[in-house]
Amino acid sequence: MKKNESDIVEKKISSNISRKTSIGTLFTDFLKFGLFTFGGGWSIVAQMEKIYVEDRKVVSSHELLDLTSVGRSLPGTMIGNIAILFGYSQQGIPGALVSLFAMILPPFLVLLIVASCYTAFRTNFWVASAMSGIRCAVVPIILTAALKMFNGAFKFPPCYFVTVICVLLYVFFNVSCVYLVIFGAVCGLIISDFYARKEV
Amino acid sequence: MFDVLTVLQLYWSFLKIGITSFGGMSMIPLITSEMMGHGWMEASEISDIVAIAEMTPGPLGLNCATFAGLKAAGIVGACAANLGVLTPSFTLAILAAIFFAKFKESTIMQRILVGVRPSCIAMVIGVIFTLSMSNYVTDAGISPVAVIISIVDIALLRFAKLGIPTVIIISAVIGIVVYGVAGF
Repeated sequence: MKKNESDIVEKKISSNISRKTSIGTLFTDFLKFGLFTFGGGWSIVAQMEKIYVEDRKVVSSHELLDLTSVGRSLPGTMIGNIAILFGYSQQGIPGALVSLFAMILPPFLVLLIVASCYTAFRTNFWVASAMSGIRCAVVPIILTAALKMFNGAFKFPPCYFVTVICVLLYVFFNVSCVYLVIFGAVCGLIISDFYARKEV
Repeated sequence: MFDVLTVLQLYWSFLKIGITSFGGMSMIPLITSEMMGHGWMEASEISDIVAIAEMTPGPLGLNCATFAGLKAAGIVGACAANLGVLTPSFTLAILAAIFFAKFKESTIMQRILVGVRPSCIAMVIGVIFTLSMSNYVTDAGISPVAVIISIVDIALLRFAKLGIPTVIIISAVIGIVVYGVAGF
C-alpha cells in the first residue's frame, strides 16, 4: 500500500518535471516525421511513440493513444489531425499550426520533384527495389510501437474484450473507425461505472 | 499564370474529400470521382497517383492531393488541394484539441477513455493485419525474403534500439541489395 502511494507521488513529480516541447523542436521533429512516414498514418504514431514517450518522456503512452484515437475519429487525414492535437497539447494553437506545416512540407517538396518525372520514377528498377525494402519495415515499425502502447491501455480486464470485438469488427466487417471509437466510449462508461460501484 | 477558377474548384473538391473521408485509401474513390468529374485526370493517371503517393513519404491522402493539384493547376493547385484536405484539421481538430485539453481530466472523459484506448489498440492491430496481408502475401504465397527483412528490422528496432529513420534507410539499402543486386 505504502509503495503504491510513493509510486503515485513519484509519477506526479515526474509529470511536473517533464517540460513541454518548444516550437522550434516541434518544427524539426515534425519535419523528420513527415520525411520518414511510409505506409500510412500509423508509422508517424510509431515515430512519436519512440521520440516523445520512450526517449524524452514528454507524454505517456496512453496520452499518445488518447490523441491518436481522437485524431483517427475526426474527418480528414489522421496524421494531420494528430499533428494538430499534439502540437496544441505542447504549445497551443501556434504549436498546432507549426507541427502541421512542418509535417506536410517534406512530402510536398519530394512530390513536387517526383511528379515532374514520375513515369521515370515509377518504372525505375532501383527505386522499386528500395521501396520493396522499405515496405518490409512498415509492419515492424508499427508493431514495435503498438507493443509499447499496450502498457496502460487496459485499465480493467473487460477492456481486452473491447479490443477483441473491435478487431473483429474492423478486420472482418470493415466497420469504420468512428463507430469503433463510439463503441469504445460507451463500453468505457459502462465498464468504469461497474468498477466504480464495485469499489463502493 | 494559373486559372483562379480551377484553383478554387480544386480547393472545394478536396475540402469535400477531406470532410467526407477518414484518411488513407478511403479517399481514393472520392478523389477518383472528383478528378474525373472535372476532367483533371484520366483513369490511368489515378492509379499512378496511388503508386506515387505510396512511394514517396507522407500520408497517402495528402500526397494524392498534391499530385492531383499539380496535374490540374500546377504548384498553386497543389497548395489549394492540400489546404482543402487539411481544412478539417485546421478547424475540427483544433476545436477537438481545445475541448480535449479542457476536459481530459474530467471523470466522464476518463471513463470514456477507459474504453476508447482498447478500441484504438484494436485499430492498430487491424492495420497491422491488413498491411501484413498486402506486404507479405503475394500471389505466390508468403514471401520469405520480405519476412526475413522484417525480422531484421524488428531486431534493429527492439534490440539495437535504432531510430525509425535509420531503420527505414537501412531497409531501403537492404531492398536495393536483395531485390536489386541479388535479384530476388
